[in-house]
Amino acid sequence: MTNSSPNALSLSHRILAILSRLNLVAGAFILLLLIAGFIARNWVFTALGVRPPEGNESLILGMRAIMVAGLAAVAMVHWILSRLLAMVHTVRIGDPFVAENAERLKEIAWAVLGLEVLHAGIAAIAGSVSTPAIPLDIRWSFNLTRWLTVLLLFVLARVFEQGTVMREDLEGTV
Amino acid sequence: MPIKINLDDILYERRLTLTELSEKVDITLANLSILKTGKARAIRFSTLEAICEALQCQPGDILEFTPASRARKASGGR
Repeated sequence: MTNSSPNALSLSHRILAILSRLNLVAGAFILLLLIAGFIARNWVFTALGVRPPEGNESLILGMRAIMVAGLAAVAMVHWILSRLLAMVHTVRIGDPFVAENAERLKEIAWAVLGLEVLHAGIAAIAGSVSTPAIPLDIRWSFNLTRWLTVLLLFVLARVFEQGTVMREDLEGTV
Repeated sequence: MPIKINLDDILYERRLTLTELSEKVDITLANLSILKTGKARAIRFSTLEAICEALQCQPGDILEFTPASRARKASGGR
């Protein structure tokens, strides 16, 4: 093994930790926007480009729904990043083939699948409330790579599960 | 476990210690100790071959099958 591996791991750990914090900051910002939208409705939605806010009730409702979906996405991303961080930690301590990591990979796969579904949902909301005067430009298109990633994650989780069982067997072999 | 390891008896007969066997077969003392105490879950053919070679014996001299029911009786039904 080269010396670059521990460095790469350390770098991955740092990047994931930074991304995790940035994600939480994004979540706090969305939450703040959602709350502010109730307290100072006209000011917030005018700033977001809904002019005038009156008469655009369905658009405002749609935008609020998108914000809630955004919060759900932040929670899912946090779920993914925290599990990835835990996995990187097991690699760092030299024991990655554990049953917990197989479970973590499976959870990541479900979360990525959830994100993809959420993305489609957000695009559907945007499409239904968007008007020619105030268009909400959030589109969704079928992306084979993303769905393949989900599939790959499920397969990897199964491989990990098998690998863990095999390692347990090997541990008792002399 | 129904498989009993008789390594201790063979070692006694050959007047050898586990450390000496470990040096002869190039298997760590820790692994041989696991085998001797019956804590191993599996044994490689290569390990068995090396031990048989070093102790000039047959696999059957080292491994002994005792049906679980008989083993329980021998230990007083515990």
